Amino acid sequence: MLKVRRPLALAAAALAGAMLITSCGSSDGGAEGDGKTLKLWHYEAPNSAMGIAWNQAIEEFKKTHPGVKVEFEAKGFEQIQKTASMVLNSSNAPDLMEYNKGNATAGLLAKQGLLTDLTPQVTKYGWDKLLSPSVTTTSRYDAKGVMGSGNWYGIPNFGEYTMVYYNKDLFAKNGVKVPTTFNEFEQALAAFKAKGITPLANGGAEYPAHQYLYQLALTKADRSWVDSFELYKGKADFHDAAWTYAANTLSDWVKKGYIAKTSSGAKAEDAGVSFIGGKSPIFFSGSWWYGRFRDENKFQWGSFLFPESKMTLGSGGNLWVVPKNAKNKQLAYDFIDITMKKGIQNTLGNNGGVPVAAEPSAITDPSSKELIENFNKVSDQDGLAFYPDWPVPGFYDVLVSATQKLITGSGTPDQVLDELQKAYDAGAPTS
Amino acid sequence: MSARPLRLRNPYALYLIPGVIAFLAVVIVPFAMNIYFSFTHWQGVGSPTWAGLENYRELMKDSRFWESFRHSVAMVLAMAVIPTAVGLVVAAALFDFIGKHFGSKLASVLRACFYLPQVLPITVAGIVWSWILAPENGSLNELLKAVGLGSLQQDWLGDPKFALYSVMAVMVWVQLGFPVVIFMAGLQRVDPSLYEAAELDGTNWWQRFWHVTLPQIRPEIYVVMLWCTIAALKVFGAVYVLTKGGPADSTIVPSYFSFSTFFEKTDVGYGSAIATVLTLIILALTTVGLRFQTRSEDAQ
Repeated sequence: MLKVRRPLALAAAALAGAMLITSCGSSDGGAEGDGKTLKLWHYEAPNSAMGIAWNQAIEEFKKTHPGVKVEFEAKGFEQIQKTASMVLNSSNAPDLMEYNKGNATAGLLAKQGLLTDLTPQVTKYGWDKLLSPSVTTTSRYDAKGVMGSGNWYGIPNFGEYTMVYYNKDLFAKNGVKVPTTFNEFEQALAAFKAKGITPLANGGAEYPAHQYLYQLALTKADRSWVDSFELYKGKADFHDAAWTYAANTLSDWVKKGYIAKTSSGAKAEDAGVSFIGGKSPIFFSGSWWYGRFRDENKFQWGSFLFPESKMTLGSGGNLWVVPKNAKNKQLAYDFIDITMKKGIQNTLGNNGGVPVAAEPSAITDPSSKELIENFNKVSDQDGLAFYPDWPVPGFYDVLVSATQKLITGSGTPDQVLDELQKAYDAGAPTS
Repeated sequence: MSARPLRLRNPYALYLIPGVIAFLAVVIVPFAMNIYFSFTHWQGVGSPTWAGLENYRELMKDSRFWESFRHSVAMVLAMAVIPTAVGLVVAAALFDFIGKHFGSKLASVLRACFYLPQVLPITVAGIVWSWILAPENGSLNELLKAVGLGSLQQDWLGDPKFALYSVMAVMVWVQLGFPVVIFMAGLQRVDPSLYEAAELDGTNWWQRFWHVTLPQIRPEIYVVMLWCTIAALKVFGAVYVLTKGGPADSTIVPSYFSFSTFFEKTDVGYGSAIATVLTLIILALTTVGLRFQTRSEDAQ
């Protein structure tokens, strides 16, 4: 006769059930697909340059691959960032997806073996011939997940960089000369301040503030300085001349009223809107704003590279990556190849994006032409210095907190640089 | 010989199985996994490496961790102590004064108004408050300027000196409706003859509140305090929407610290250690609170 102790039996049954539930969704190692479906994820808005170009690429892919179904799923940037590692570990991985570039993102996945090594495909399709060296830095990762060398794990279709956006109408109305040197730039800031206008749009709660800080450091930096900081090829010293100058200058700009003290809690969107609304005459930020400014600015505006700085923030754009568990890898490679073709690249360029392999003559829109020419100028002089939050996971939050201290005056430049050094040293890979 | 069917002393126990399975799957197993990961170094992908007590040792030395707990104390003040104290007075005033002199309909409408912030999703409330508290063109600063108090204008969420107090004020507003509703429900069951007797003895409103209302709804006060304290220790949404722990960590709380460690720093082991410590503190407080409540009820 079977005798079961009741509570024990119940607990055992429940535990078994729970284990059954929680064990669902484990990896099956990426079975071979049928070659009939391309599962594609990306997080670009449909009306953005990338969204438009990639929709065109999907149509083209369907033409060249009759009978193949494209299963496109629009994802959110945050959604992919927060869940990618779990999804890529499972059998539900897509065949191709857009992912963030950098050590803490694509580098981390590459290091863990979750991405397909694309090196053979790069050679086969000749993608490396289309990309400039500073654009490809973010495509390659070594065994430690550090960008800049090793195998190819991602292919970028577009580039991005930062520039000074300025409101031509406000400059003219206030009799301020458009600067060509750093001195003139500071004179312009002072001239606006004298008229009671806070010249620089800023968002201290997000990236704009630390992009100002990094750009100021870059005015005193060179490639080897960037390589030390971003690629750990030397020691990053936050009390060196470049960082010290940057922290002091940013603090100084706040004291002089060039940056509002009240911008410490503002978001990037607030900064952008204050430029769009004609409140701030100058906004130093990235090419990702370009299309929106073109659509929404109700005034004459222009852009120029940060004066007297050989280097500026920027890199190759987000990457196409092929998960290790992708079932139809060949289809994924074919799709990447289509996105690198001139037609798609030209569409990208004519819609406010920065293509990596377009035909200059095919870019008909004058403002897009200027945007792409400036990118090519920076890229050709090896001036893309990446982003300050890349070297260390979680450094973005540290930079936000540090620059907020500079803006609110709750920390001295020296204390802020100490804080950055401490977080950097704790997070940067040793050896 | 036929096997006798298994007899359970309580046949209803079988009906508990689905709930127990769900509880195990959704709470116990993930919690056990969280504890396990807190003893490892792991970036969320690949294999975790065993770290023993390293994360906890690190945590004890981490000034951000301690700062986040200091802010938790402020949150307990804003979400439990102040709303309970103010809620008591408001509930008593609605029930005893408004209800009696202006009718129970008005009291109900006002109670609903106080409860409204509890119904609003915190993200919506947070975004609206961030507009109100915006340094430039924010309603609060504009209002101050309009009434001639322009000198009091501040960067409410962007200045480390004020950000925590601003978040606390928003949380008082969010939380107040909950104690009001619970206390008003509690007041419904207080024997009216107690108030009548007190009135005959010539007591004023405050004396009745102090000597009748408070002792009578003590169980509700315990429940509200406990509930709100736990909510305060776990608070995440409001901080995420209003300040993301900033400026310069001045509003960071343990749950947000854990979240950012997990997802921004991809340091899952350390994030799990923070979450584990937070959970243990909440469990300990809950146990103490429940014991205290039971003992005082027994004493009555």
